[in-house]
Amino acid sequence: MTDRHIDLPQGTLDLLILRTLSHSPQHGWAISERVQQMSSDVLKIQQGSLYPALHRLERRGWIKADWGTSENNRRAKYYELTRSGEKQLEVETDSWRKLSAAVAQILESV
Amino acid sequence: MLQDLRIRIRALFQKNAMETELHEELRFHVEHEVEKYRRSGMSEEQARRQARLVFGGQDQVKEDCREARGTRFVETALQDVRYSLRSMRKNPGFFAIATLTLAFGIGASTAVFSLVDTILLKPMPYPNANRVAMLWRRWPLAGIGDSPWAPAEYGFLARTATTFQNLGAFKKDSFNLTGSGSPELLEGVRASAGFFTVLGMSPALGRTFTAEEDQPGHDHMVVLSNRLWQTRFGGDASIVGKTIDLNGDPYTVIGVMPASFTFPNQDGIPPILDLPKETELWVPLLLPAVPLRGAASDLGVIGLLEPGATVSGLEQELGVYERRLEELIPQEKGSSMRAVPLERQAVGDARRPLLLLQGAVSVVLLIACANVAGLTLNRSLGRRRELTLRGALGAGRSRLMGQLMTESLLLATAGGLMGILFGEASLYFVKRFGPDGIPHLHEIGLNVWVILYALGITLLSGVLFGLAPALGATRVNMVEALKEGGQRSGGSATAPRIRNLLMVAQVAMAMVLVIAAGLLVRTFYSMLDSDSGFKAARVVTFELPLPASKYADTGRMAQVYRQVLLRLQSVPGVQSAGIASVVPLGGAPDGTVIRLPEHPTMDQSENPFANYSFASPGYFSTIGTTLLRGRDFSDADTLSSVPVTIITGSMAKRYFPGEDPIGKQVGVGNPKIPVRTIIGVVADIKHESLREEPDPEMFVPYTQSEIRAWPSMQAMQFAVQTKGDQTAIADGIRQAVHGVDQDLPVAKFATLTTLVDRSMTADRFSMLLVGAFGILALLLASIGMYGVIAYSVMQRTAEIGVRMALGAQRAQIFAMILRQASRLAFAGIGVGLIAAFGATRLMARFLYGVTPWDPITFAGVSLLLAGVVFLACYFPARRAMKVDPMIALRCE
Repeated sequence: MTDRHIDLPQGTLDLLILRTLSHSPQHGWAISERVQQMSSDVLKIQQGSLYPALHRLERRGWIKADWGTSENNRRAKYYELTRSGEKQLEVETDSWRKLSAAVAQILESV
Repeated sequence: MLQDLRIRIRALFQKNAMETELHEELRFHVEHEVEKYRRSGMSEEQARRQARLVFGGQDQVKEDCREARGTRFVETALQDVRYSLRSMRKNPGFFAIATLTLAFGIGASTAVFSLVDTILLKPMPYPNANRVAMLWRRWPLAGIGDSPWAPAEYGFLARTATTFQNLGAFKKDSFNLTGSGSPELLEGVRASAGFFTVLGMSPALGRTFTAEEDQPGHDHMVVLSNRLWQTRFGGDASIVGKTIDLNGDPYTVIGVMPASFTFPNQDGIPPILDLPKETELWVPLLLPAVPLRGAASDLGVIGLLEPGATVSGLEQELGVYERRLEELIPQEKGSSMRAVPLERQAVGDARRPLLLLQGAVSVVLLIACANVAGLTLNRSLGRRRELTLRGALGAGRSRLMGQLMTESLLLATAGGLMGILFGEASLYFVKRFGPDGIPHLHEIGLNVWVILYALGITLLSGVLFGLAPALGATRVNMVEALKEGGQRSGGSATAPRIRNLLMVAQVAMAMVLVIAAGLLVRTFYSMLDSDSGFKAARVVTFELPLPASKYADTGRMAQVYRQVLLRLQSVPGVQSAGIASVVPLGGAPDGTVIRLPEHPTMDQSENPFANYSFASPGYFSTIGTTLLRGRDFSDADTLSSVPVTIITGSMAKRYFPGEDPIGKQVGVGNPKIPVRTIIGVVADIKHESLREEPDPEMFVPYTQSEIRAWPSMQAMQFAVQTKGDQTAIADGIRQAVHGVDQDLPVAKFATLTTLVDRSMTADRFSMLLVGAFGILALLLASIGMYGVIAYSVMQRTAEIGVRMALGAQRAQIFAMILRQASRLAFAGIGVGLIAAFGATRLMARFLYGVTPWDPITFAGVSLLLAGVVFLACYFPARRAMKVDPMIALRCE
C-alpha cells in the first residue's frame, strides 16, 4: 500500500494547502482530508507535517487563523486565505504549471 | 511582515497560551481521525493506534511547529541563560572571583577611557577650533624651540600675511582689581581685536572689542570671564556698561564670556610663553603702530585659516613670510615660523601620560581576561563529564559552545556593570586628587561613548575568554571521555596547554606592568634626590605685583621692594629674606641673547643666550643655594657703582670652559647697554621642574636695572627663610607689605615645599596610577596562578595518593608541585623580561635619572614576581603534601 504513494516535492505542500483553502475556510483535519482526497491517495502526506506548514504560512500572512465551531459542535481552529495568500496562490500555481510543463517537455523529448 | 512580527512577539510573550492552542489543535485533529477510523469499523483502540501512526510523533510535530514560529534562537538563548544562572548559583566562589576580576579590568579601562575621551577626543568649545592655528617663532641655531613673537614680528605678519582670514595676538598681564572689597590680583590677557574673531567666540553678555578699541585712548574696556563675573560681581546681569578699577584706572565692562571659554591658559603651551593658569579678564592689547625694536618677545599669536586650508599646507607660506621678514630686519636671520593646530597645541603634554595610562590599563584588562579565561577553562574541564553526556544525548558542538559562550557573556555583563560603577568611583578620585594641569579635568564623567566603550570591552572580553574554554572543552572525544570516567583523566591535550599559555601570558604581562611602575617610582625618587640648587625647608614664597599706574619705573620699584625687604627682616620669626624675578619652581625666567666681549671668537650668529633674572643680596643664602665662587651681591651694588652679575655653574661651564669666570665680562645682546662684570658663580637653580636641564642663567642686582621699564620687575617674587613655623608667618608678612603700601596685594603665598610638590603632581599621579595598575596586575596574576595550581593539585589527588602509597615523601610531593608551578612562572618571567625590554623604551621620556632597562628594577621585579608566584602556589602545594593516600585512593 505504501508503494503507491510518492513523496511530496519540497514546497508543494504549501501550494496544496493554499489551493485547498481557496474555496472556503477549513480546519486542519479537513485540510488534510481534502488534500488526500484531491490527490486521489497518490500523494503521501504525513499528517503531522501539515501543521508546521500551516503555522509557517500563517506567519507569512498568507493565511489567517480563527477559532470557530466545527460541524460537530467542537472548538476548532479554522484557516482562511488572506488577500496576499490569494496572490501567492496565483503566483505559485503559475510557476508550478510552467515547471511541470518544462519537465514534461524534457521528459518527452528524450 | 506585520503578521510575522505579531506572531513572533506572541510566541515569546504568550508562550503558554500558544502551547495550549497548539495542543488543542492537534488533539482536535487526532480525534477527528480516530472518529473516521471508528466509523470505518475499527475498534476504539485500533482506531487510536492507526490515527497516531498516520499522524506521526506528536512531540516531533509540536517541535516543528515551534520551529515554524521563528523564535527558536531566542528560546535557545533564554534556555542557555537560565542554565548558566543556575550553574553560577551552584558555584558562587568562581562567579564572584571572575566577576570581580573583570570589574577591576573593565572599571579601570572605563575610567581611563573617560580621561582620554574628555581630554583628547572632545573637540574644543570654539566654533572655529579646527581652523585655528597657533603660530610660533623658533631659533633653531640658539637651540630655542617654539617661542613667542616680538611686537615688531607680529606687526609685520599682520601687515603682510594673506593666507589668514584673521590674526590675533595676546599676552599675559596682571591686574589689581580695587574698589569694592579687598584688592585682588587677577590674571588676564591683553588681546588684539582679532583675538575673539579668530576663535569665532561670541560673549554670553554684551560684546567683545572692536578694532577701534584696540587704539590708544579707547582701550579702557574689559571683557570678564564667567568665573570672575560670578565670584566677584555675583553674576550681576546689568554688569555691562559699569566701570571697574584695574591697576588704579577705570575700565568699562563691555562683555562677559561663557563659562566654557578660558582661552588662553597654560594647557599644552610651552612655558616660554607666559600665560595665566586661568584667564579672568581680557583687555585690548594696544600695539603701537611702529613697534619698538628690542621690545620683549612675549606675544602669543593665533591665526584663522581660510576655509578648506590646512595647517600643514601653511609651511611654504610661512617660509615666504620669514624671508621677507629677514630682509626687513636682518637680526631675524636664523629664525623660522611654525604653525600648530590649536586643538593639538592645547592638549600637548597632557596627551603622553594618558597614552601611558591607556597602555597600562589595556594590559590590566588583558590580564583580567586571561585570568577569567583560565578560571572558566578550569571550570569547564571539571564539567567535561557533563558536557560529554550532553554531547552523547545529541547536543551539537555548536550548541555546547553556544552554552559556554552564553555563560561567558553573562559573566562579562555582570563584570561590565560592576566595572562601570567601579570606574565611576575611580573617576571621582581622579577628579579629587588628580593634577591640576590636566585640561578639562573637571568636565570628566561617564558619557554615552564611555558606556559604549565599556560595553564593547565587555563583549570583547566575553568573546575572548569564552572562546578559549569553548575550544578546549568541546574538543573532547566522546567515547574516550566516557570510557575514562572523567575523574582521573588528564583531559584532552589542548585545554591544559591553553591554560598554561594563559598563565604564562598573565605573568609576563604583570611583569611588564610592574617593571613600568618600578621605573616610574625610581624616576620619582631620583627627581627628589636630584640637585635642585636650593633647599626648600622652612622657606615661604610670595609674589608682590606692583600696579603699573603707581609704580612705572624700575628705580621706583626697587625702592618699594627694598622697603619691604627691610621691614620683613624685622618680622619676628624671619631668619632672612630675598627677592628674585622668579623663585625656584616659580615659573620661567626671562631669557636674552648675550654678548661676551672677551670671547670674540664666539660667533654671534650662534646666538649665545642666558636666562636673565634680578635678585637681591641675601637671596641665594635664603633659598639655600651654594655660592660656588666669588661674592654675593651687596647693598653697595647700585646704579652708580660698577654693573655686576652672578652667573650659574652651567653658564660658567658653557661660556667660560676651563677658565675662571670671575672678573670676566658679559652683557645683553643690545650693544648700547654696558657689559657687566662677573663677581660670583652659584649653583644651577631649577625653575619649572626638578627634571629640567638648567639653562645658563645670569643674575643682576635688582637695584641695577639700566632699563626704566622692565615688565618682569613689575612683579618680583619673595623668598623668606623662617626660624620656625612657616604658616604662622603669613600675617607678619602681610603687615610688613601693607606697612609700605596699603594697596599692594600679596599673591601666590606658598611654602617652597608646596611649590616642589606641585611641580611633581603629574609625576606623582602617573606613578601612583601605574603603580596601582601594577599591583592590580600582580594580584590578578597570583589569583590566576593559585587557580591553576590548585586545580591541578585537585586533579592529581589520586596520582599523589598513589605516589605516597608507593613511598614518596611529603617533601617530594611539595617539590613536585612547586616544580610544575615554577616552570610556568619562569617562562612567564622570561617572556615578561623580553617584552619589558621592548616596552619600557617607549616610556623613556617619562623617566628621569634611570634608564629604560634599569637592571635594578628588572632584577627586583623578577624577584618580586617569583616571590608572589611562590606564595600563590604555596597553599595548593601544602594541600597536596597533606593528601591522605587512603582517602585519595578511595576517591576512585
